[in-house]
Amino acid sequence: MAQKRRIGVYVCYCGGNISDYVNVEEVAEAVRNDPNVIVSKTHMFTCSDAAQQEIIDEIQAEKLDGLVIASCSPKLHMFTFRGMSKRADLNQYQYVHVNLREQCSWVHTNDKTGATKKGISMVRAGIAKCVLTVPLNAIRIETKPRVLVVGAGVSGMRAAISLADMGLAVFLIEREAEVGGWALQTGKMGPEAQEGTDVVAKLLARINQHENIMLHTQAEVIGKSGNIGDFNVSVRLPGDESLSLNVGAIVVTTGFEPYTPEPDEFGWNAPGVIPLKDFRQMLAETDGSLVYNGKPVRDVAFIYCVGSRQSKSESCTEPNTYCSRYCCMATTYTATLLHDLEKKTGQPVNQYHLYRDVRTYGALEPLYEKARTGGAIFLRWDPSDPPKVSTEAGQLTVKAKDHLLDGEELEIGADLVVLATGMRPRENATLNDVLKIPESKDGFYNEIHLKLRPVETMIDGVFIAGTAQGPKTLAESVASALAAVAKTGGLLMKGYVDLEPLIAKVDPDKCIWCGECLKACPYGAIEKINVGEKEIAFVIESMCKGAGPCVPVCPHDAIEIEGFRDDQIVAMIDASIKELEEK
Amino acid sequence: MPKVSSKLAAAVKCSEEFNADACMHCGTCTAVCPMGYEILPRKLFRYVQVGLEDKVKENISSIYSCLLCGMCSENCPAEVNIPENIRFLRKYINENEFNLS
Ligand SMILES: Cc1cc2nc3c(=O)[nH]c(=O)nc-3n(C[C@H](O)[C@H](O)[C@H](O)COP(=O)(O)OP(=O)(O)OC[C@H]3O[C@@H](n4cnc5c(N)ncnc54)[C@H](O)[C@@H]3O)c2cc1C
Ligand code: SF4
Ligand code: SF4
Ligand code: SF4
Ligand code: SF4
Repeated sequence: MAQKRRIGVYVCYCGGNISDYVNVEEVAEAVRNDPNVIVSKTHMFTCSDAAQQEIIDEIQAEKLDGLVIASCSPKLHMFTFRGMSKRADLNQYQYVHVNLREQCSWVHTNDKTGATKKGISMVRAGIAKCVLTVPLNAIRIETKPRVLVVGAGVSGMRAAISLADMGLAVFLIEREAEVGGWALQTGKMGPEAQEGTDVVAKLLARINQHENIMLHTQAEVIGKSGNIGDFNVSVRLPGDESLSLNVGAIVVTTGFEPYTPEPDEFGWNAPGVIPLKDFRQMLAETDGSLVYNGKPVRDVAFIYCVGSRQSKSESCTEPNTYCSRYCCMATTYTATLLHDLEKKTGQPVNQYHLYRDVRTYGALEPLYEKARTGGAIFLRWDPSDPPKVSTEAGQLTVKAKDHLLDGEELEIGADLVVLATGMRPRENATLNDVLKIPESKDGFYNEIHLKLRPVETMIDGVFIAGTAQGPKTLAESVASALAAVAKTGGLLMKGYVDLEPLIAKVDPDKCIWCGECLKACPYGAIEKINVGEKEIAFVIESMCKGAGPCVPVCPHDAIEIEGFRDDQIVAMIDASIKELEEK
Repeated sequence: MPKVSSKLAAAVKCSEEFNADACMHCGTCTAVCPMGYEILPRKLFRYVQVGLEDKVKENISSIYSCLLCGMCSENCPAEVNIPENIRFLRKYINENEFNLS
């Protein structure tokens, strides 16, 4: 071993979470005599402010140059202790985290002696790794103050306006000739009673006035290169023209596709069976009583959850298992629109709402109440016995069992059967090919964490918002668009972004450019370069995630991940089996 | 199979007197009713709500044996005015079934 190090080891009780099963005092004691360890202590809660301050004082007083914290998962507190190291003027990459809780105490609750022994091994390995750490600096990248927003539905338009208000230049790209997305076809929308077309027109007026927004319709993204803070995007414009954009971030708001029922699903394709969208448009277009195919509409049956909350069966091999969230609200709101029409025309319309559960959550609940007290009848159906729609002698009929009448089957003659169809992910082959945003099991774009990081994707600098991420109401779409704006602003307004230096590093002497690493890298972070006569692999720092599939495939051991170098791993293994060898 | 009748449904809808929309089917009324008919009053109102005229007619005797005592509405947590609804039904039956007007 070369030069001696001055390492501080801190073992955490986690208020019993660790110490109930691992004897933390014994662990601290076992490593105290290690030649590289200066301090070895325990704390009840290492993450507490008091404990952190004590550690900072010790780092400075003892001139520590390395730190091993043996506590919970680094997912929980790695950034806490990196911050602490920074405050103590210790390079944050010379702190090593040992996960004594999730990887030891919690999984060995039945064997305290064994857990303690394993704990000692783990901490020894941590020290061995720490001995070989070198100070590292974050990779700083300048960000461009420009944003690309893909998809000009309500989500994309709203995001564009707020981004532009922050002073960022915004390129808003829409594939269709018209902006607005589905809101153009939904008629009057609940719960605010706004015409979808008005919402879009108002947003468009603001966009047209904004000098920071460039809107392109009939345009499509066809290529992307670069990385967070500095992407180059090519866009196809109408008439074979194209456009190159240099942006710091990309916000994807490409929306959803309404579910199309199967041919025999709830009478789909029979005359008089229509989706909610068409019924809303009928309401928007009528100025008197409702008429369908020349016949006045007196009885309407609404069927909820069509194409949502499905389970796998023979007739449904790829079920949409999720709830589409908007349809209960949109359908109960539609009931109130019908009540208003009845009052206006004096012509009663009987409404039968065949639902599974009414999910008018939060502040939307009054819509359900309004629909009911206005005279709409709600009948609950069970997925094991869904309503049956048929046409008998020209009469559209719905048969359903009523729970409230002990499962008695009712026969409802209807002039219209309206299906509250759910939301599906949009087909977007070209865009998916270019952006490669991971998809969830439901097929929508996947966020990193539903609650903690809801608009970020695995691709740094690419954000998702609105119904492209999953079913949402209009208000929820806008809220998520604004969340993406906040995240994008946070990234670009600072002018730079710091990336982890724990990435791949090529040894130019060992590398002979066989190209194996290039094939293994899922992020396209490897390039071939010439150094003098020699061809070698080169790692594009801003694209490398330090994931490491390149390391084991290299036949010449020429590529390593900083922070997880071969010498460190070997030292960790040696240290962790020290006790075994002594026996 | 009982058929939904728009006529009854529409009559109920246009009336100011009949209102069982707030009913949450808790069953309190059925439990306290001194007449102890299973149909009174909750299930009966469901028949009316969904417009099952035949079912309503099958239960004419129950409808007329209601004492209009108000035990049910006194205890109803949703403040449904049950005796008032029964009166409305009697009027509807008088007019449509017994042709009294
Ligand atoms: C029948 C119906 C009734 C509804 N009623 C209500 C209601 O009463 N209240 C309510 O709150 N919500 C309601 N909603 C939901 C509401 O319409 C949506 O939440 C909202 O419109 C979603 O907006 P969005 O921008 O996320 O998606 P979208 O409207 O789908 O917009 C996406 C846009 O992106 C564009 N695009 C897609 N791919 C690309 C690409 N590759 N390149 C460029 N552009 C692309 C599309 O052309 C589109 O313009 C209803 C929905 C339906 C279907
Ligand atoms: S640092 Fe982690 S292990 Fe220690 S007390 Fe805090 S949460 Fe628990
Ligand atoms: S919102 Fe309502 S209708 Fe839509 S899927 Fe969910 S439960 Fe079904
Ligand atoms: S008013 Fe009629 S239904 Fe109500 S408790 Fe009295 S008898 Fe029963
Ligand atoms: S007590 Fe009131 S709410 Fe309960 S079932 Fe009777 S009418 Fe309905």
